[in-house]
Amino acid sequence: MPIYPALAVAAAVVVIALELLYFRSGILRSRAYWLSMAIVVGFMILVDGWLTKLSAPIVFYNDANTSGIRPVWDILIEEYAFAFALLTMVILLWDRSAPAVADKAASS
Amino acid sequence: MDRLQYSALMIACLLLTLPLEFVFGARVWRQPKRLVRSVVPVALFFLVWDLWATNRGDWGFNPKYTIGWKFPGGMVVEEILFFVAVPVCALLTLEAVRNMLAGTTPLQRWVRSR
Repeated sequence: MPIYPALAVAAAVVVIALELLYFRSGILRSRAYWLSMAIVVGFMILVDGWLTKLSAPIVFYNDANTSGIRPVWDILIEEYAFAFALLTMVILLWDRSAPAVADKAASS
Repeated sequence: MDRLQYSALMIACLLLTLPLEFVFGARVWRQPKRLVRSVVPVALFFLVWDLWATNRGDWGFNPKYTIGWKFPGGMVVEEILFFVAVPVCALLTLEAVRNMLAGTTPLQRWVRSR
């Protein structure tokens, strides 16, 4: 596998492992998390699509190091794993430092 | 003006998600310490990856659409903005969704009070 998809998938796997073995927040079973992720992916397609579109890319890739699979708006498929790892990790840290009063809302 | 494309896109993301803080009561910007503690460590990790991958030539940045401030290896400063703005947008979305599901957004309270 080329390096970018390999590392992006590895990052996603590490974040899932951290949640299951260390944080145990239950976030991956929460409705609010998946609903927000669905919304975030929608906007990610607009923003990442703009950044990586092949017609006028802001960010460009060395084709040899990517999967080359660009199903929607030229966005590389590994970008979704990259985004999942980045955002889920931030959310895990965010929820860990939730103030006591916000605990009830955080479990919805 | 084209050289501002990348930074303008990131600033647009922050401006467009700002109403979530108030209309949906996200309370992300209003917890700056908690925000820094969640975003900065992850951003640093991804920026190290980014510096390394840019240096290797895995990816690069179009000089036409970036202001031109670069780190050794070629990573543009806009990437710092990216790894701050995108997680902030996601946290605002998550907190807005949580409040919506709980029926506690200022918007829902206002609608109910009418």
